[in-house]
Amino acid sequence: MLAEPTGPSLPLNQLAPEAALRRLELAIVRRLEGFLHGDHLGLLPGAGSDVNDARMYQPGQDDVRKMDWAVTARTTIPHVRDTMADRELEVWALLDVTPSMNWGTEGITKRDLGIAAIATIGFLSQRMGDRFGGLIMRPDGIRRLPARSGRTALYGLLRTMLTTPIVRDHAPGTMQLWDGIEQMSRMQRRRGLRVVVSDFLTPGDFELDPNIPPPWERSLRRLAVRNQVICIEVVDKHEIEFPDIGDLLIRDPETDFQRYVNTSDPAARARMDAASAAQRERIRIALRRAGVGHIQLRTDRDWVQDIARFVLAYRRVASQLHAPPQGVSK
Amino acid sequence: MTLMDLPVKGFMASERLWWLLLVPVMIALYVWLINRKSSSGIRFTNTGVLGRVLGKQNTWLRHVTVALSILSLITLIGAWGRPFGLDRVPRNAATIVVVIDVSLSMEATDVSPNRLAAAKQAAAEFTTSVPAAYNLSLVSLSGSPAVRLPPVTDRAAMLRAIERLEPQESTAIGDAIYAALGSIDQAPKVDGNKAPPGMIVMLSDGTNTAGQAPLQAAADAGKRNVPIYTIAYGTDNGYVDLDGKRERVPPDKQTMSKIAQETKGRMYEADNLAQLNDAYKSIQTAVGYVEVEKEITATAAGVGLALALLAAIGAVMVGARWP
Repeated sequence: MLAEPTGPSLPLNQLAPEAALRRLELAIVRRLEGFLHGDHLGLLPGAGSDVNDARMYQPGQDDVRKMDWAVTARTTIPHVRDTMADRELEVWALLDVTPSMNWGTEGITKRDLGIAAIATIGFLSQRMGDRFGGLIMRPDGIRRLPARSGRTALYGLLRTMLTTPIVRDHAPGTMQLWDGIEQMSRMQRRRGLRVVVSDFLTPGDFELDPNIPPPWERSLRRLAVRNQVICIEVVDKHEIEFPDIGDLLIRDPETDFQRYVNTSDPAARARMDAASAAQRERIRIALRRAGVGHIQLRTDRDWVQDIARFVLAYRRVASQLHAPPQGVSK
Repeated sequence: MTLMDLPVKGFMASERLWWLLLVPVMIALYVWLINRKSSSGIRFTNTGVLGRVLGKQNTWLRHVTVALSILSLITLIGAWGRPFGLDRVPRNAATIVVVIDVSLSMEATDVSPNRLAAAKQAAAEFTTSVPAAYNLSLVSLSGSPAVRLPPVTDRAAMLRAIERLEPQESTAIGDAIYAALGSIDQAPKVDGNKAPPGMIVMLSDGTNTAGQAPLQAAADAGKRNVPIYTIAYGTDNGYVDLDGKRERVPPDKQTMSKIAQETKGRMYEADNLAQLNDAYKSIQTAVGYVEVEKEITATAAGVGLALALLAAIGAVMVGARWP
């Protein structure tokens, strides 16, 4: 997959084992808003299962079946028990399909691994009424796939993502990851879960210092104010372990970088590996600083296993990880 | 002997130089190959860090190698075209007519002891330093120029003739040139029927006052391929007292240089004995050698070979993967 791919490297039915994922559940810790009844805690009062508070009975408005008899007896004024509405979850996934994602050395491109990750997250969040939508970020603009509920709709979305034409190398366009994140937070105002799938590499960026925030961190932080955000970082094995393939011309699919590099030099490889590790560490720290969940998937590993491991650990840490900034309701 | 000593004057097989058209084609091909963006090399995503960590590889070695091989191609095509240069070989025989001004202005004392005495001394030195096989002739330049000595190889006669020079009235440069040309015709033939090449060394310190136009005479000398080396002699503020009247006698440098140009000779300036000797010395080296065409194919081929060797070393350095 070193050359430019011409089509998807993974068929639709191998994206995620739907049946196996049915028993896993993704912890949703932020409150949601919506109009439909669902399985998740809502932001505003309404018909639901979670008790909230007692308030005075309004004749004609309140259901007498919700009378809170204990409070009524104690205060001699009729009270009803209020509940929080249970709302449906709306998931939006941003898929980066810029040319640097069309790369992979283990028989699968980073782009298709990202689609597989979206499929896995999608099947994990298939509770009652939950909707799943997608945004495909191309260098020349964003394509929006509307959010629908149900597994048939999810399959349709995944098929559309797989069959979206491959972006050619050096395709014109100025769309960067932070533009895509900004657009996502502008386009979808309703609270919910947001998934950002990318390699988080900025073309031409060589900064390794974690104290200098990457250009996409600010947008991500803004997105995380109202939403629960999970970032899926897609990497290839040979982006971390620089390969030994002799003296050859290396060029970038996005920038006009072109250079002969002697990859057989062990010292150079060691330096490159150290720099890549530092770069990944910087990405990890920036994502943590932005208060978002972080999954790193590799093209040479089983992504279902990695995501399942993440989900299990996530149950314990999610409420702290996604604590909203001061002044924003949970 | 290098190319610097023998600049290329021409090519004996110049039609072969059309192969030089290959050179721009190759340069264009190289530039095109460099600028070709895709379809070669492998793609890699994280090139920002890669470029930072691995640093720039020295592409100059590649460029230098290509430049060297193209240079060697140019040189070898040039060598194939059989270039020739001009070589200087000592002249075997020549007739040199020494024209010395003996007008009254030569009595000026701005050159010590006076102009004529210094000129005689320098001419005598010139006489002894000229190769023995050359004919020397002496013409005095005055109102009525006369051949004082026909072309001979006898140096003692020449020295005696120089010693006998006496000041005379007025200056006729044109007539003196014709007299010198006539003297050249009297030179004994050598190598069967060929007269040795003639040349005139003219020392003058004043303007033309009589006789034919100097430039006309110079043009005639030019037609006969007789170069005239002129020496403008004396300082600008030299003077003589004639009949109780003081006359300024500056040398006419303009006419002298025009005469020299007309006949493919050279003009020298001298205002003392040392400069005069220097002028005669450089005239002697100018007339003592003849330029002949000489093929320098071997030299050019050698330079081309050296360039090709350097290019080969560069190619090995680029291609080899050092441990």
